Amino acid sequence: MALSREDVAGIADYARIDLTERELDEMTAYMNEAVELLAPIRQYDLEGVEPTFHPIGDLSNVMGEDVVDDSVRALDIRTALRNAGASRERYFRVPSILGTEGGDR
Amino acid sequence: MANLDTLSASQIAAGVAAGDFSATEVARASLDAIDRRDVSVQAFLEVSADLALAAAAATDAARAAGERLGPLAGVPVAFKDNMHLVGTHTTCASRMLENYDSTFTATCVARMLAAGATPMGKANMDEFAFGSSTESSAFHRTNNPWDTERVPGGSSGGSAAAVAAGEVTLSLGSDTGGSIRQPASLCGVVGMKPTYGAVSRYGVVAFGSSLDQVGPFGRSVGDVALAMNALVAGGNDPYDSTSQDCPVDFLEHLEEPVEGRRVGIVPALMEAEGLASEVRIAIGSAARTLEDQGACIVEVDLPNIAAAIAAYYVIAPCEAFSNLARFDGVRYGYQEKGCATLAEQTAKSRSHGFGLEAKRRQMLGAYLLSSGVYERYYYPAQQVRTLITQDYLHAYEQCDVILMPASPRTAFRFGEISDPTQMYASDMFTISNNIAGNGGISVPLGLGADSGLPVSAQLQGPAFKDRTLLQFARAIERGFSARGVVAPDLAGKGGELA
Repeated sequence: MALSREDVAGIADYARIDLTERELDEMTAYMNEAVELLAPIRQYDLEGVEPTFHPIGDLSNVMGEDVVDDSVRALDIRTALRNAGASRERYFRVPSILGTEGGDR
Repeated sequence: MANLDTLSASQIAAGVAAGDFSATEVARASLDAIDRRDVSVQAFLEVSADLALAAAAATDAARAAGERLGPLAGVPVAFKDNMHLVGTHTTCASRMLENYDSTFTATCVARMLAAGATPMGKANMDEFAFGSSTESSAFHRTNNPWDTERVPGGSSGGSAAAVAAGEVTLSLGSDTGGSIRQPASLCGVVGMKPTYGAVSRYGVVAFGSSLDQVGPFGRSVGDVALAMNALVAGGNDPYDSTSQDCPVDFLEHLEEPVEGRRVGIVPALMEAEGLASEVRIAIGSAARTLEDQGACIVEVDLPNIAAAIAAYYVIAPCEAFSNLARFDGVRYGYQEKGCATLAEQTAKSRSHGFGLEAKRRQMLGAYLLSSGVYERYYYPAQQVRTLITQDYLHAYEQCDVILMPASPRTAFRFGEISDPTQMYASDMFTISNNIAGNGGISVPLGLGADSGLPVSAQLQGPAFKDRTLLQFARAIERGFSARGVVAPDLAGKGGELA
């Protein structure tokens, strides 16, 4: 079942990647070629085989104390914001999330 | 006077500790080598001269104060540019992160520095580690030090090339499907992907979180063992929940003989389509070298390994899509200006920030995780992963390590492999090890009979038997007397200890 150009445009929308018309053509060809490469996966009889969801077996979750660790991991506000494209005071700044239709809400 | 080309990491550390030369002199020699050689190699995205000289000065001050120096005192090291180091950018060789300023330091980097290493800078790579040639870097290509018309391999191509060029003594890379072992092979240096969980991934930009593992490059097995000691020192990292305690001294038993131990060969792999005959011949010589030292060669089978590439190209793109969803142009990374809505800003930032291969992998992952497709590919791929892991477990009942090629061929020319799915075959011998989570190492075998370019053996071993891998790697190195050397065209250009 080959992926159509429309299918690929739908995936691009879902992946939040704008593609030009030309990129869409190339991506459609790539996606179909790549999916063909994956065919061996579908040729196995996998009845009763457990999936591997973690590369190291027999591990249990490590739980930590619920305390703020300022020593290493917590970034101060200035550091946290310094790579942001836009910020104001203590916040990341983004364009309208719901769009401008319907005015301020 | 000594040249960095011929000094091992432990000789540098010992020389600094003894006062034969200072860490500052070593740092200057490395900067000099980078200055003279990287014009043609282009291994670095950023040279951190100020950080290097400050770290070296601190090492020299510690010695002057009578403090005990670390095992990597004064050793010049490069880091793949997906590793955070405060005071440098972390770009992942992507426009997306071109201006990203590291906000913290990765555990693997911090541990090398804690052992006394001198940080020389950040090495080029395939964008977000998607590739096997470093050609997908958004900034520039890196040239193979043995032939600058050829690729260094990838994705850790800059890390491998910097060591092969003698610009640094050690470097770190990351390996998701072969990204340490394949470039090590193409550049004629030792490169190790430890067992998944042996080295912390904290602060390394994630690609495939169940596959990624950090490891060292060096020009000798001993140097790589020394770096491994530094990487596991201090035990498991609480900031990476998959990081394990590895209380192992990799150097201590390095010279242990391989006599009476078993080396597996997988006949089907040695007859694989696409394997160059010069590589097959070299692997045969490596097997004989181990036999000469008393090891037994046994045939083992990995019956499901043919599906490893397919399983990988389901699992890795899915994990990549999930991991790279964080690049939304808000908190960091490229941000498209003048957008009316957040959705538009996100889609345009991602479109203009990511290169072609990064888009491909994410598109593939997005598709494979979509409803109805997940059941046909993702879930079965994880089941195949179980089969491949079991294959290895059975094989390791019959042998201590498995010997095979690291790369099907020697370094190829720029642009020679333009089809993305053909490029994926570059990792045909390395990928299954990431699927199973086991350790692997590339060891130089000298130059190929046909191409005259570096050829390597790969050794794979059971989980958390990385010390055994290093012992066998050392045995091959001993037999070949082919310690990775600085590429001849570059050796001696700068790098003198003043």
